[in-house]
Amino acid sequence: MTTVLLVDDEKLILRSLEKTLLRAGFDVITASDCKSGSEIFAQNLETINIAVLDLNMPSFDGTPKTGAGLDLLADLKKQKSSVPVVILTAYDEVTKAKESVSGGASAFFVKGREQGLVELIQKILQVTE
Amino acid sequence: MSDPRKLPQILYIEDSDETRSLVRRLLSHKYVVLEAADPLDGLQLAEETHPSLILVDQSLPHMTGSEAATRLRKMLPNTPIVIISADLSTGARERALAAGAVGFITKPIDDDFVEQVDAYLNGKVEILEDAEKHLQAYQQELVERLEGNIRQLSNTVAKNKHLLQQNERMFSMLERRHKLLETAARVGQMATSILDLDELLKHTANIICSEFSFYYSGIFLVSEDGQWAILRAGYALAGRKMMAENYRLHVDEKSMIGNSIIQQQAKIALDVAGEESRFKNPFLPNTRSEMALPLIVQSHALGALTVQSAQLNAFTEEDITSLQAMADQIAIAINNAQLMFKLEVATSELVRTKTFEAIATATGEAIHWVGNKAAPIPGSVRRVREDLLYILALAAQLNESDAKNESLAAAVQTVREEAEAQGIDLKQVLVEMSAMKKNRLQALVSVESLMEDLDIAENSAVTILSIKEGLIGPARQRNDSSVSLSEMITNTVASMGLPDGVVELEWANDMPNVFVDARQVEQVFNNLIKNSWEAMGQTSSPKIFVKGVRDANPNFVLVTVKDTGPGIPKEIQEKIWVSFFTTKGGSGGTGLGLSSVMQIVNQHGGSISLESEVGKGAMFLVRLPVVK
Repeated sequence: MTTVLLVDDEKLILRSLEKTLLRAGFDVITASDCKSGSEIFAQNLETINIAVLDLNMPSFDGTPKTGAGLDLLADLKKQKSSVPVVILTAYDEVTKAKESVSGGASAFFVKGREQGLVELIQKILQVTE
Repeated sequence: MSDPRKLPQILYIEDSDETRSLVRRLLSHKYVVLEAADPLDGLQLAEETHPSLILVDQSLPHMTGSEAATRLRKMLPNTPIVIISADLSTGARERALAAGAVGFITKPIDDDFVEQVDAYLNGKVEILEDAEKHLQAYQQELVERLEGNIRQLSNTVAKNKHLLQQNERMFSMLERRHKLLETAARVGQMATSILDLDELLKHTANIICSEFSFYYSGIFLVSEDGQWAILRAGYALAGRKMMAENYRLHVDEKSMIGNSIIQQQAKIALDVAGEESRFKNPFLPNTRSEMALPLIVQSHALGALTVQSAQLNAFTEEDITSLQAMADQIAIAINNAQLMFKLEVATSELVRTKTFEAIATATGEAIHWVGNKAAPIPGSVRRVREDLLYILALAAQLNESDAKNESLAAAVQTVREEAEAQGIDLKQVLVEMSAMKKNRLQALVSVESLMEDLDIAENSAVTILSIKEGLIGPARQRNDSSVSLSEMITNTVASMGLPDGVVELEWANDMPNVFVDARQVEQVFNNLIKNSWEAMGQTSSPKIFVKGVRDANPNFVLVTVKDTGPGIPKEIQEKIWVSFFTTKGGSGGTGLGLSSVMQIVNQHGGSISLESEVGKGAMFLVRLPVVK
């Protein structure tokens, strides 16, 4: 069973993505900011196969921050360097999301067609295995 | 001593005090001496007292001793008159006798004076031989003296006339100087009140001409490249014509204007015919004298003022000094106006840049925001579609004969037919479903999940549609009235249902009511307090302080809303006011809150600002106008 850590502060996006991933047959653990994302990851270090992180959300100190997802990316990589990470982004922030790839992310995904995320995750995990 | 009343009276007419006192000493022991310093007084005294003898000094003010003798003789024909004189020249004695004197005593007065007086009193009369000749000589003397008097009089008259003229000139000069100073003051005053440069220059040229009746006045300003002196204002028709032709002069030695600018010196031509460096201006044919005064600020010539007169030698030193003082004031005013203009240009550029930035940010944020809000809709709809298929497939499984009534049977029939018409193979779906594990299939037909997905889609759409209210809300018509902010905000806070003790209110006693639309302003404070509360989601002891006082500017009330949250980073402090910019992410902010708050406050003639530092909370300052 594949377990996905999904972190996004937009409630509806989080729930919708969660449902899509569940339907696709993944187990999903959710969080809504950097701090709780990091904590949940630490608690489920062995279970979580891949992390999907929003680019903009509350940072570790709780204040909203552009690119906070990159901070969490670095944090997760520090905890477990092998974990693949996908960065979620709105389509007007693609440049910033591309930078995330150089920061260690496996890929970025532009929000919208949720089925695409399912396919992306499957592809990444195949390569990893 | 004998009775003075019985002593003979002698009248002595003499203007020298010393001589009079000497004669008094010599005579007073045996005569009563009546004295007169002035011949006119003497004549009067003689008439009143009828003295026994009259002694008259020859040299007297107003008339000579001889003239006095002639008059006395006519007045008192029997009284002997003796002339005392220092004139020893030939004929002096004879002329005196011809005038009517009986004797002639020479000065200085010596020892035999008393004896001589005694003799004349006793009837001595000197004989004048060839009386006719001496009478003529005396008359000649009289005529000459009269002529001299007339000359002196006419001289005095001329001198008075000259003095009068001088006074008049002085007076008119003073008047002119006063007027100049007054005009300079007016120009100075105008210079500080008129910031529009062209207006100022036009007024100045007009005032100079109308107040001093000069023929023409104009103001040139140097072009940016320093090559040209361009006429910016000119008096009357000639001025208007020149302005219409974009009249300009090279800044060189060929014109007085050019010269005055180059040398930073006043150039004056009191007779333009003799002025070589004067450019002959076809628009101003009647100019006879002219001056060009440089307009200097901080040793930089901005231009020059020309003043022209149709008269020769029209300018006095006073004029030049006063007009230069005026020119200095104009120069400062021009400099100020130019600085103001540059400032305005810079400001409007800044405003433009800021506006574009704000629009760009707003557009970007709007796209981002709408994108985020819309993101879950396709996913939800897709799931609903899938779920519907499974449910329809189940519905189509119903046996028509099992249907409890005809309507239901018809409905099942419709589902089958329409699915087929849509190209949906419900039988095939059913085959797929049969292959699924029980719990997976149960999840796919979960009514709860179906409803949730519909909720997700609906909520997303509702959020997006709510922008409309956020954008249009502040634009609604206002219904201003006198509002007590303390009362209003206290009620607002109570209705918000925040935990006890979070909000602390503090109102100054002298806080006046404000004149606002109560509903809109309530929304402002509701929004600010809600923002503060939401910003403190992770703050250990969240507090909101709302404080109201009369502002330093007494026309406003100042309300501050301060929280103990994380604060707002410097780099986004500007952005928070922009539509669609939100930091709230999942908590459902529309990004229109602060932008509409600012719009409402501004529309009321108030202002709103933010003071915040990361880690030290945020404070919003709202100023609203006091009710009048």
